[in-house]
Amino acid sequence: MEWPIPLENPETTMASQASLRKNLLSSDRKSLIIGIVLLAVLIGVASMSVDGFASTNNARSILLLASFLGLAALGQTLVATVGGLDLSIPFVIGASNILLAYLFGTSIPPALGIFIIAVLGAAIGALNGVLSYRLQGQALILTLGIGFSLVGAAQIFTTFGSQYSGTVFSQVPAWFSNISAINGKTLGMPFPPVVLIWAVVSAILIFWIHHNRAGRALYAVGNNRTAASVLSISEFKVWVSTYTVSGLTASITGMLLLGFSGGGFVGVGDPYLFTTVAAVVVGGTSLLGGSGGYGATIVGVLVLQVLTSFLVGLGLNYAAQQTVFGLLILPMVALYARAPHIRYQI
Amino acid sequence: MNRKILNQFNHLAVPLGLVVILGVLAAMRAPQTFTYVGLAGAVLIAAPLILAAMAITPIAIAGRGGVDLSIGPMIGFVNVTIVVWLGALEITNPFAVFAFAIGLACLWQFLLAMIIIYVRISPIIASLAGYMILQGVNLVILPRPGGFAPDWLGDWGWGTELLGPVLYILIAACAFWFVFQRTPMFQHIRLMGADERTAYTSGVNIVAARIAAHLVAGVFAGLAALCLTGMIGSGDPSQGNTLTLQAITALVLGGTSLSGGKGGVTGSILGAVAMYLVFVVLSSFNFGAISGYMTQLSYGLMLVLSLLISLLTTQSRPRTA
Repeated sequence: MEWPIPLENPETTMASQASLRKNLLSSDRKSLIIGIVLLAVLIGVASMSVDGFASTNNARSILLLASFLGLAALGQTLVATVGGLDLSIPFVIGASNILLAYLFGTSIPPALGIFIIAVLGAAIGALNGVLSYRLQGQALILTLGIGFSLVGAAQIFTTFGSQYSGTVFSQVPAWFSNISAINGKTLGMPFPPVVLIWAVVSAILIFWIHHNRAGRALYAVGNNRTAASVLSISEFKVWVSTYTVSGLTASITGMLLLGFSGGGFVGVGDPYLFTTVAAVVVGGTSLLGGSGGYGATIVGVLVLQVLTSFLVGLGLNYAAQQTVFGLLILPMVALYARAPHIRYQI
Repeated sequence: MNRKILNQFNHLAVPLGLVVILGVLAAMRAPQTFTYVGLAGAVLIAAPLILAAMAITPIAIAGRGGVDLSIGPMIGFVNVTIVVWLGALEITNPFAVFAFAIGLACLWQFLLAMIIIYVRISPIIASLAGYMILQGVNLVILPRPGGFAPDWLGDWGWGTELLGPVLYILIAACAFWFVFQRTPMFQHIRLMGADERTAYTSGVNIVAARIAAHLVAGVFAGLAALCLTGMIGSGDPSQGNTLTLQAITALVLGGTSLSGGKGGVTGSILGAVAMYLVFVVLSSFNFGAISGYMTQLSYGLMLVLSLLISLLTTQSRPRTA
């Protein structure tokens, strides 16, 4: 193409803008709209069919649980945006949970303990990123291996000389458990602070992704690595930083879950193994990279959490909920994350 | 030909080395493993994992980052349906049970292949959804472990005879793979896994190839479910779930790349054997309460190390989209 680009006639410019708008509507926006409609329908149906669904108490518990899942799925979203997958999240959650409980039992000041665990989480994330960079097709296996090792090491460390395996008992500071307890108060308001934290983090992240060069770099790398490198975006840096953030948010989730439950338990992360992926996928971020975003994941998280609450209200147990989740993923993904036929990929 | 054998050996070097080292360690720490009865028990315990790892191998070779996460719950599904459904119908004929197990597993794999081919969503999402669905369905069919396997199948669980049905199943599975590996269809699957576009433009019927990969997986998975049922002698809705991660670990230890086109079941078998030997060696130490975590830690480290070694031995570049 010549440079400077010659002035085009206004009609074609307008047409191209219209098609751009249509493009926006057809890709990311479509999944977001489907998600929001699904959420609204779910809330409507649930409020009508389950007594007490539309109560402040229930809304509070949905939001609280959604905050945990939302924070855990934050890192997963970023990683998925660049085409990776982080399966170490549940293990980082479990390990942070028992390690923090362990640190609370020692003479280390609680705030320092929290800081140490957060740094550890980020370090594990960075390790995931560095090691999986050359193995991007197999990132999920690598993160799984790191996760296994971490959770094994953390349990060996905490159970050394104790006969309780898998659980750690210690005194959790009241201010810390207030952050994520169901009856926690935020500046006198009747919801736990973690909900506010999740909202603020989400707002900052969404703004940052859309209005910052580093945020756009995620999509550049996710869409086309060759193009991204031409724009002098370091694929390595982007890849490693998404995993670092993922490790950090997973460890924060693990620590908050300690405040929620009051006792350290390594299995606390297990439900998050596939649920974070489900939230990302239901929201509309394709695992192939380059599309979606955290706004979509928030919708996905809320859909899953409202659905869980609805199914519990209907008297379905955990097993049946999992089945419904699985059945939900297929049509949701089929709606917007279909690959083109092979004959169009050549 | 010479070069081919050398290449073959190269990608098996890591798992083979692992098995030899661990085998020596196991022989020193737990010599009873290598007695007649010890081996019979080892074959019995390792068989479900070996067959599960074999099952996910053709799917991984078929490419598209295809790793069948649903394999564990699916084996569990066949296990609970043998005990509950066939138990209710009082079907105990070995032929009928074999046909049911393999047929059901193939049906599920066929369904998965159809979703991957025609709905065109990525295999990992399809099998993830399958994992969640079957995990729940198993618990609905059989809420807690219980029930009885048919007598002849439950008798496998004594595990005192090395030359028993479990070993014959393993040999038959290997023979089946040996024959399958020599068919043009296997070459098509490998080509498709290495480069689907090239395969398509060269006239390979990629729909048939993908279905074939999944059906072969179904045969192995059905056999894995039979061995699992024989081992525990009853139904267990959650025992199968743990097989997913273990089978993937064995697959990767065996040098099959999830990026497709490479690998074979020999590696997966060696990987599964290595995992069993790690378990044997670690349980020979007296770790007490932490022995389970030691196993977990070693599986994790083995997984990471074998991936990094595969990176060094093969010249793989970062994926370019």
